[in-house]
Amino acid sequence: MIHSYLYLSIILFCLGIVGVISRRNVFTVFMSIELMLNAANLAFVAFSRVHESMDGHVLAMMVMAVAAAEAALALAVVILLHKHKSKLDTNVFSLLKG
Amino acid sequence: MEQSVNYLGLIPLFPLLGAVFIGLLHVFTCNRTKLPEKVYGILACVGPVLSFVLALKVFVALKGLPAASRFLSHKAFTWFSVGDLHIDMGFLADPLSCLMLLFVTFIGSLIHIYSIGYMGGDKNYGKFFAYMNLFLGSMLVLVLGNGPVVMFVGWEGVGLCSYLLISFYSEDRANVLAGNKAFIVNRIGDLGFVLGMSFLFWGIGASGFDYLSLKTNISNLEPAIALTVCLLLFVGATGKSAQIPLYVWLPDAMAGPTPVSALIHAATMVTAGVYMVARFSFLYAGVELAGNIVAWIGMLTALLAAIFGMFQEDIKKVLAYSTVSQLGYMFAGVGVAAYSAGIFHVFTHAFFKALLFLGAGSVIYALHHEQNIWKMGGLKAKMPKTYLTMIIGAFALAGCPPFSGFFSKDEILFSALATGHYGIWAIGVLVAGMTAYYTFRMIFVVFHGEPRDRHAFEHAHDAPSVMTVPLIILAIGALFAGFLNLPGIFGGDQIVSHWLAPSLSEQHPHASVLIEIIAIGASVVAFAIGFKIAYSKFGQGAPEPTYTGFADFAYHKFYVDEMYDKVIVQPYKAIGSSIWKVIEPNVTDAPVQGVSKLYMLLGTAFKVFQVGYVRVYAIYMVLGLSLMSLILSQSLN
Amino acid sequence: MFADGLFIGFAVLAVLGAVGLVLFRHPMNGAMSFVVTLISLAGLYALLSAKLIFALQLIVYAGAIMSLIVFIIMFLNIQPSDLPQEETKLLYILGGSVVVFPIGLFLAKIVKSLPAHSTEIIGHNFGGVKEVGLLLFRDWLVPFEIVSILLLVSLVGAVILAGKRGTTK
Repeated sequence: MIHSYLYLSIILFCLGIVGVISRRNVFTVFMSIELMLNAANLAFVAFSRVHESMDGHVLAMMVMAVAAAEAALALAVVILLHKHKSKLDTNVFSLLKG
Repeated sequence: MEQSVNYLGLIPLFPLLGAVFIGLLHVFTCNRTKLPEKVYGILACVGPVLSFVLALKVFVALKGLPAASRFLSHKAFTWFSVGDLHIDMGFLADPLSCLMLLFVTFIGSLIHIYSIGYMGGDKNYGKFFAYMNLFLGSMLVLVLGNGPVVMFVGWEGVGLCSYLLISFYSEDRANVLAGNKAFIVNRIGDLGFVLGMSFLFWGIGASGFDYLSLKTNISNLEPAIALTVCLLLFVGATGKSAQIPLYVWLPDAMAGPTPVSALIHAATMVTAGVYMVARFSFLYAGVELAGNIVAWIGMLTALLAAIFGMFQEDIKKVLAYSTVSQLGYMFAGVGVAAYSAGIFHVFTHAFFKALLFLGAGSVIYALHHEQNIWKMGGLKAKMPKTYLTMIIGAFALAGCPPFSGFFSKDEILFSALATGHYGIWAIGVLVAGMTAYYTFRMIFVVFHGEPRDRHAFEHAHDAPSVMTVPLIILAIGALFAGFLNLPGIFGGDQIVSHWLAPSLSEQHPHASVLIEIIAIGASVVAFAIGFKIAYSKFGQGAPEPTYTGFADFAYHKFYVDEMYDKVIVQPYKAIGSSIWKVIEPNVTDAPVQGVSKLYMLLGTAFKVFQVGYVRVYAIYMVLGLSLMSLILSQSLN
Repeated sequence: MFADGLFIGFAVLAVLGAVGLVLFRHPMNGAMSFVVTLISLAGLYALLSAKLIFALQLIVYAGAIMSLIVFIIMFLNIQPSDLPQEETKLLYILGGSVVVFPIGLFLAKIVKSLPAHSTEIIGHNFGGVKEVGLLLFRDWLVPFEIVSILLLVSLVGAVILAGKRGTTK
């Protein structure tokens, strides 16, 4: 049944959200975001199977390409932040306060 | 009924233009090179003299018309028109206003000429004449106005000029306070006037709010409203013409220059109230109760002011209380419905009171601004012209036949007696005696006996002719004006009464010759007694008296000013102060400031959410998403 | 039937990997469990007859992106002292699950209302390179080109962000 794939996608997505909001480690946060993207990919491919057209696959490819680009930039930012404060805690950077 | 003439509007216009022109000249030159005083003097007299010439023209024109249709009108422009109220800036010349016009412009011109000499050397010479012209223009608007609203414009204008001229010597704070007092007390009266006008309009104003329309519609006015209007308008008159209870400003107004006291507070402005009652004779004639109230208040004021006048030491204050007292006579006259008698007394009083004031000014000028009579004495040798003219004025004021004051005062007292107002007549006779007493007390103390201040006496000299010629002219008026209204018993025609008849709703009382003789006799006896007492006390020179008991109480004017201050002024100031200190910060400022404080508080409260951690912002997003899905899943079911 | 068993296996592995990612303290451990998740997802794609995506997932995601992440983690030479002290981690995770629960429930409700469909594996004309390529270069050409520009931009950006600065600090 296709529903199982979709339920799995939902579970992975929710786990990803939980990871984003509850962890302070920069890498964990970043990887949780990737997890959310993957869950979305799974949903695309499942629906593509339902409709028996390739559009979902193409979109999944786009998502992957964007994820790759984003990964590169995010890791560059992480390196910069580490150079600044040599800490990997998101709570350290609170310049937006006020 | 009326003819329309164009030059009526010019009569008040000339002095007003003069005021503007002189005022601008003064403003632009007072800090640079000053213009010579002659320039201002000549410019200032142009307006009043031209107005007098035009007034003569009006008189001639009116005389040429048959008596019943002696009305000239001129509508300058429409002022405003709202609903039923349509007011034009219009002027009406009928016998009453023509009489007022003549003596206002004549005496006004004379006093302007006198002031050229009196105000010499003053640094605000130009400003003085600008204000005087402005006053004359406003007074002419008042007299010539064709309805109560235009009259009120003039009414307010003269009040303003009175304030400006009383506080003319503004370096001295007391003078400014006197000006304030005059204006504020006047204002209280003006409130009554405006209320009276409003009730009148409410009653019968819908079909035209000028005198002629009101006169034709007066029978439509309900009696209760008519009484209210009469009394409210009279409140205005008590303010402007210094009757009880609003007379307190007039003695203080003597702080102004003497020509101001002569013109405004003796001859013209203060008679505006009497003129107003006479103008509204069609209204007052129908409400006898109002007339009685007016007459009684007038006579009581006359009595009170005469008592005060008997004990004053400032020469101008004696004359001021005398003015209040004579105004009381005039109101008694118009109150007993003898309108022409009251107006005739206005006419003669203008002459002799202006004369007395200008003469007093001459004395003050000679003694270098000394005003206390107990520092004068024996001046008749040094100032013969002034002495002679002031004697004539004093006889006229005291009501000695055949001077003018006798005829006008006697007419009023006779009317009171003939219409059955015995109380008013009796008090009137008493006050006539008191008038004679205080007038000649002043004359004897100032001019007879030994000089009390040798040094000032040595330097005294008579005034220059620019000041004495007006005195002489006024003295001639004070001597002979009475013959214009000679009653029948003396073989006269009552010219003035007949002249005024078309303007007034008057019923001349028919009384027997016996009543007339009683009235005349009583007046003459009262004068004689007053004169005798004054001569015996002061004729040979007397020292300055010390006052005790009732005399002291009267010297302090019955402490009326102090009582007003305590009962009215101080509580009013306290209310104002409490509003300023308590109500304003808490009631009006607090909500406004409270609103801004509320916003600041809200801002500080919401600032809690801006923690600075991006993770927390992500949590806010997820919270919102979660809430949204909660709500949407409800709707899905 | 065999497919069902595979599905259950892959699904369990994916969920376990995800839970591990969220719970592990050291990012390296988290990255490893994430890789497990990615590989099981690739298997799931295969079960859905998505041949190309299955291959791409393994090559791009598990191969390139994860290796990049692991490389950076190792590059930064993380000591235990660098890692944040997360004492309240479990509390936050519980709170987060409570907040996230309605979202999941809502999505599940939507999914339940969808019609059923079989997931039999299709061999021909579905999910292969040819079919995806046809679609990609015809209907989805413009997004394809834009994505390539996006990749160029991110390449340049990454070089500038992490590269050696000349004059600035």
